[in-house]
Formats: sequence, structure tokens, C-alpha cells
Amino acid sequence: MAGRRGTNPTTYSPSLKTQKTRSTIFKDDWVRPDGRGFQQCRPAFFRTSAVTAASGSAYAEFGNTKVIVSVFGPRESKKAMMYSDIGRLNCNVSYTTFATPVRAQGSDRKDFSSMLHKALEGAVILETFPKTTVDVFALVLESGGSDLPVVISCASLALADAGILMYDLVTSVSLSCLGKNLVIDPILEEESYQDGSLMITCMPSRYEVTQLTITGEWSTPKINEGMQLCLDACSKLANIMRSCLKEATTTSQE
Amino acid sequence: MGLPDASGDLSSEMEVDAFRRLFPLRFYERHLAESIRPDGRPLGRARDTTIALGAVASADGSALAKIGSTTMLAAVKMEVMTPSMESPDEGCIAIDFHMPPICSPIVRPGRPAEAAPVVSKQLSDTISSSGMINLKELSLVSGKAAWMAYLDIYCLDADGALFDAALLSAVAALFHLQIPAVSLNDDGKIVVSEEDGGKLEKEPVNKEKRKLTLRSIPFSLTCILHKNYILADPTSEEEAIMETLVTVVLDSSSQLISLYKPGGAVLAYTSAVQDCIALTRQRVWELQKILDEANSGMEVD
Repeated sequence: MAGRRGTNPTTYSPSLKTQKTRSTIFKDDWVRPDGRGFQQCRPAFFRTSAVTAASGSAYAEFGNTKVIVSVFGPRESKKAMMYSDIGRLNCNVSYTTFATPVRAQGSDRKDFSSMLHKALEGAVILETFPKTTVDVFALVLESGGSDLPVVISCASLALADAGILMYDLVTSVSLSCLGKNLVIDPILEEESYQDGSLMITCMPSRYEVTQLTITGEWSTPKINEGMQLCLDACSKLANIMRSCLKEATTTSQE
Repeated sequence: MGLPDASGDLSSEMEVDAFRRLFPLRFYERHLAESIRPDGRPLGRARDTTIALGAVASADGSALAKIGSTTMLAAVKMEVMTPSMESPDEGCIAIDFHMPPICSPIVRPGRPAEAAPVVSKQLSDTISSSGMINLKELSLVSGKAAWMAYLDIYCLDADGALFDAALLSAVAALFHLQIPAVSLNDDGKIVVSEEDGGKLEKEPVNKEKRKLTLRSIPFSLTCILHKNYILADPTSEEEAIMETLVTVVLDSSSQLISLYKPGGAVLAYTSAVQDCIALTRQRVWELQKILDEANSGMEVD
């Protein structure tokens, strides 16, 4: 490749990879880059019916994390699919090329797609649309940290907007372990130097967990503390989402 | 006899919605005869258009454009490349148009939409032939380094006139573009100059060239030709029913940049093409005003 000038010359991003010294987070006076308290989530903004071409959709914005989720169907399953007397859920998560600080080939995130599927599958009443498929497609417009939890919460709102029956709204919140601190709803910078992470996806009114992932090194009391923080945040998030849905129906009735 | 007659008899009893689905062409023709469209627009009027600059913080320039429900998000990311031997003083611009599965029920993951590469090519042709951007402005160090501007346009909601909305968002994103100040480090690489307590570590190589001068801005309008009617700015429903499209691209001083008429059942007479150009001229003026307003709104904040 070197020396040869093809149609696509190799390029690099001029932005410096500023590796903040991790040691700062062990100091007692460490504050979060955006000035939030350790147990304070970013302000959440939701809007339903963002995409008119879809059966249902939602847009979510948590700080710099911006995602759109569209729901299509229930519609005919792929021809190759076997007969199924319950419905299918098909999930896909992708990123725009400009979502991340350094430009990437906008690509499917297979890992996130499968996590999203597993998080939602327990909440959707699949028996109500036998033989057909509901497609849940997410696009991350800008990645600002805690992307997957935002996608999951936004997807459940989009499903509700599409009128797909669910046992409850699904909300998701993650938490990073930085030294001895637990910070909720981490931004990209905090996620980059975390020691461990915990993500809970739950149905708050039923007090049921649909997904729980823990990575890194944790002590049992820390896990308990972290889970309680996330569950509290999840139920608060559900209230915001529910009021967003109520607002949408009252404005459409007028 | 044929279907049209049958629909004529049934239409008095049928619900409007059912009639619209079963006999879409007849439904439209009845409206067109009254010089109105089902969404309440006169034939020559485009849908409400809005532009929001700076929608994506992780990009160097970005814009969200909405024409009716059609929504486009465009963003520019600047990277550094070695310029080619033939043009050592020129940068480059790479334009790509994406239709992610969220935008329309037709697109499925892994199977890109047919329209996407077509619009992508039209966009790069239009932007390069309009002479809007002087590629010399993208040069950093002659023969050593130049900017590669990656302009990516995502369709978030597809409801007709995709090219018009995509071009509008692309132009607005370039309008909003703020080129980062960079300097040459010891390894011969270009890096973003870090401001260290007010003074810069190294002299930036692009002190003055922080904003592109856009010479003539291209704007477009797509029209549908159906019998003797000309419908400006079609929705996806209209595009599906009546298939002859004409896209006219003019610059801000009303000079013709390009004209696309990709086939279709209706042959365009000269007069029809002239009417399309006249409608576009009016639309360019509107769009220019919307873009200026979006820009002045930014400065107030």
C-alpha cells in the first residue's frame, strides 16, 4: 500500500488521543467531567413517533448520547423461517460513521443487537403476533457513553409507540466502577477507564430483571450497592418514559 | 368494463381511506383535477422545511434538514491525508449517502437500499460540479498534508424527495463546518493544537483557513410529471404512484448545475422542463432564506 496513491488514500484523524492519567480518579476531590454527582443520571429526553415511515419509533437523548429506534411490523417473517406459533423479534443496532470521536466505518454492532434482543424478548408478549416478525432497528447518531442502556430503553418506548403488547416498559441503566467510586450512567470518557461495569435491564412495575451484565472485578457489597442504585434509576426512568407516552397520546387526541 | 369504471361506481359508497388504497391513481387524479393534493398543498408548493445546524457534537460540522417528514442528518469529519502527486495543493471530499434500516420499511439490515448508491453518486457529482468548494482551501502543507473531508449523510426518515433533502443537509453541514486548528508535530504528523493556558504549544499551520468559503451553493427541487400536471416536492406515496421524476439543481444565482430525468412514463416537453426550472428558481430563494435563518439563529446562541 505504501507509496501507492489509490482512489482512497489512507487518512488519519488529527485529534490527539489524550490519555487522561487514571490516577486522578483515586484522589478524594475527583469530580466527574460533566460535573454530575456520582449517583446522578444525565437528563433524559424522549420523543415518540420520530420516524413517520415506521409503525412506531422513538428518539432518546441522554447528554451527548443520541439514538433513534424504529419498529416495523408485525410483518411477514423471512421466507426461510420455520413455522412458529409465537411471534419473532428481530433486532439490529448500528452506528453512524460520525458517532464516535474518531471516524469509523459505520457498521452493525452484532454484540449489541443480540444484547438488545435478549433484553426485550422477555417483556414482549410474543403470543400476540404468531407467525410474524417485529423488527426493532436502532441507529446510534452520536455515542456519548452508556449507549446500550439508552438503546434498550428507547427501543421499549418505540415498541409501545408501535402498539406491540408488552408486560411492562423495559428500562436500562448502567454503572461504572472507578477505583472505589460507583458512578451511574457513565459518559464515554468514564467508560474508557473503568475497572468494572454493571448494567441492569428491568421491568420496573413488575420488579423483574430481564438482563444483568457485570464485567470486571467486584466485591459482593459493591454489587448489591450498584444493583440498588441502578434499580432506583430504572424506576425513575420508567416514569419519564411513561409521561412521554401519555403526552404523545393527549396531543394526538386533540 | 375495466377497473376505472368499477371504481367510479363504488367510490360513492366506499370509505375514503379504502378508495385511496385500492385506486391510488384515481384518488390522486381526482385531487389533481381540483388543483390540490391530498395533504392540502397546491401542486407547485414544497413541504415545510427546517434546518438545524450543529446537531452532532462529535463531528466538525453537522446539520439536520427536514422537508415535510423526510429527515436527513449530515455530518463532516475532517481527517488528514497525503495529497496526490498530480494535485499537491488540493484536499479531497468524500461524500457518502446511507439509508439505514430505521428510515423505511423497505430497507433491511445487510441489504442496502437500491436508491442509496444512486443518490450518493448524484450528490458527489452535484457538489463537485457546482464548484461550491475550492479544494485548494483544504490544503495544509503543500505536497505533504491536506484535509480529507468525509461527508456522510444519513436518511432518518424517508418520505419522498430524498435527493433534495440530502443535498440541503449536505450543504448546511458544509456551511456549519468549523475546521480544527492543527499543527505539525515532530514526527511530521498533523495534530490538533492543544491550547495550553491561552497560548498554543506550536504555531498552527492553518491559522486563517478555519471556515470554507462556499462560492455558489447548489439547491434542488424534484418534481413529478403526470399528464399535464407538475407536482413539486413529492411524498413517497406520490413517488410510488406517479413515476416520472425531474430533479433540477440550481445555484444561488439561479444558474443551472444539473438536471436529472431518469426515464419514466411521461416524456417531458420543453415547456414542462421550463416550468420545473421556474419552480426550482422560486424554491432556491426559499431555501437560501431558510439556510440564512438557521445560520443567524446559531450566532445568537
